[in-house]
Amino acid sequence: MSTTQLPTSEQAPPGGATAGHRGAGALSRLLESRVVVQYGLLPVVLVGVLIAGEILAPGVLSPSNLSSMTRFGVEIGILGFAEMVVIIMGGGGIDLSVASTAAVTQVSLAVLLRGGIELWLGVAISLAIGLALGALNGFFILGLGVPALVATIGTYFGYAGLALVIANGVNIADFPSSYLTIGQGDVVGIPVEFIFIFIPVAIVLGYVTSRTKFGHEIRLTGTNERAALLSGINVRRLRFSGYVIAGMLAAIVGVVESSRFGTAQPVADSTYLLTAVTIAVLGGVDIFGGEGTILGVVLATAVVTIFEYAFSLAQINAVIELGSVGVMLIVVVLGQVGLKSLRSYAARRSSA
Amino acid sequence: MSNVPIALQGGPAPVPSRVGHVLGRIEYEGYLLAMIVVMGLVLTFTVGSSFWSSTNLSGLLLDVAIVTVPAIGMTLVIVTRGIDVSIGSLVGVVAVVAGLAFEHHLPFVLVLLIGIAVGVGGGLVNGAIIAWGKVPPIIVTLGTLSVFEAITYLLLGGVWISNIPAKLTQVVVIDRLGPVPYSFVVAVALVALFSYVMARRPIGLRIYAAGDNPEAARTAGLAMWRIDLFVYALLGGLTAIAALMTVGQSPLVMPTTGQNFELTVIAAAVVGGTNILGGEGKVVGGLLGAFLVEIVEDAAILYHVNSFYQQIVLGAMIVGGVSIGVARRRRRRTEGSLE
Repeated sequence: MSTTQLPTSEQAPPGGATAGHRGAGALSRLLESRVVVQYGLLPVVLVGVLIAGEILAPGVLSPSNLSSMTRFGVEIGILGFAEMVVIIMGGGGIDLSVASTAAVTQVSLAVLLRGGIELWLGVAISLAIGLALGALNGFFILGLGVPALVATIGTYFGYAGLALVIANGVNIADFPSSYLTIGQGDVVGIPVEFIFIFIPVAIVLGYVTSRTKFGHEIRLTGTNERAALLSGINVRRLRFSGYVIAGMLAAIVGVVESSRFGTAQPVADSTYLLTAVTIAVLGGVDIFGGEGTILGVVLATAVVTIFEYAFSLAQINAVIELGSVGVMLIVVVLGQVGLKSLRSYAARRSSA
Repeated sequence: MSNVPIALQGGPAPVPSRVGHVLGRIEYEGYLLAMIVVMGLVLTFTVGSSFWSSTNLSGLLLDVAIVTVPAIGMTLVIVTRGIDVSIGSLVGVVAVVAGLAFEHHLPFVLVLLIGIAVGVGGGLVNGAIIAWGKVPPIIVTLGTLSVFEAITYLLLGGVWISNIPAKLTQVVVIDRLGPVPYSFVVAVALVALFSYVMARRPIGLRIYAAGDNPEAARTAGLAMWRIDLFVYALLGGLTAIAALMTVGQSPLVMPTTGQNFELTVIAAAVVGGTNILGGEGKVVGGLLGAFLVEIVEDAAILYHVNSFYQQIVLGAMIVGGVSIGVARRRRRRTEGSLE
């Protein structure tokens, strides 16, 4: 049974301002504490992953490994941001098409560059394509009223086909060397894309989603759609913009990825989606909307990256690694739902 | 009162005053049938000799059967407002287990039963987490998708299984009633069975009720967890049948067996008129949807269209099928309020 229609009244107030005051029990206070509310099981999983990583691949956290990890983590982290933005707005928001969007943008960029266009213009056009594909998702979801889940399954397919058509089914490898700096260069041992793309994107999104009116509105929309409507928020337009942002972020990932590999690949990376959703949820984004912070998603990106990196250092097959990420996703969501019902149980008991 | 008709949409025993709505349903399925016929006619007049060749025709019917069988289960899952994206990789697990069982020379029928049991087991895992964990189905099945994939990989151990007994291919592909493979007959029989179950048995009514208004159904004392377990386990079992047919069709089990199959099945269900918003959908729609999806694919092959475009068309069919469902629901809501 889908629980996406969960009544918002069951959701504990963020920060636990009301229930926390009345809450007498230590359990209730713990459950309402800022760390637990915002990050859920993240601290526990972080410790678990660090231990598991050290057992699987001793020395996984050496400086040189950390440097390569940040490179790898940039792409899945930004996709995690994309999922966060659409999930946080509630209403069953999710974007399953991000990997295909990234595929379309990277092959478009490669074709444009092959056609002799300036690098900066090519990148700008690719980002615009990502924006357009995100807007198309938004149109299907908010214009036609197709649930996000199915609309983006459809566009996952559609955009994947589009990428193949644009690239004529083959990898495109003739990028100018200047372009390759984005995904291969480093500054004092730190990958370029981490300093100049991931950090700025995280800061901007972190600011926008927590300190601005927009950030306040998306949280309210995710927590209580009716209240958002009553307070005059244009919920449809807000959610639409979420899909546009997700499309843009996927486009950034497409650009970074093709630069890192030195080739544009038309076949979407099918592992991206699961990883991105896992990162978002692990980072404390409430799957039913309303809650989530960029800092949490950044920490979750670190956790998942260390996890995956330890697996590959230990030479465990990628399929097994992805299976483990799948288990992690289910366990974390179960934990999230469990924490929430525990919290409302504790709140009920202490107020009774 | 205005909520009542929706509970019965696509459901059992049309109430006389709802004749208009029932006609609406017939129109939609008739429309689907007309599209299939038109596709058939176009193919007849353009590439008739290759379309009507018995190889192409029975190949098409087998493909339709393989998609239809799990589309029955997917229809029920979507009626309860759920979704299952893990069935493609469940196909892989069933195929590997069956392949290994064949390699150990287990009796033929026992292997089939083991395969179906594995499918039901996989479905029960999904159903249990969804029912008791209260986790959205997309999240659960996205997770189990990769878990099933990992299991397939572990069981295969890096090699392909190729010594599938010819008997399976014989039963699935070669044995026919005229040009119609037995697999297709099995698919139609299952469609008939579950159409009956959904229209006439209490469980059918409960599934529609649970999907139409979960709150009301719960208040009315419906055990939702039972419904969840039932629909996901059923989908798992039907997926296993499709997996066995797939192995018979191409007797080779690889790590990629079943990949992306879930999308074709979801497309068949939603193109067949199952409303993604829940509470509404017919098993026979899954058959017609599968037919339409597969005939389009067959046309693409006969016209030598690049396979890249097939993905775009399939994506468009999913979005298109769902938007029609959503638009019809919206129109009916408006009409309902005018009554």
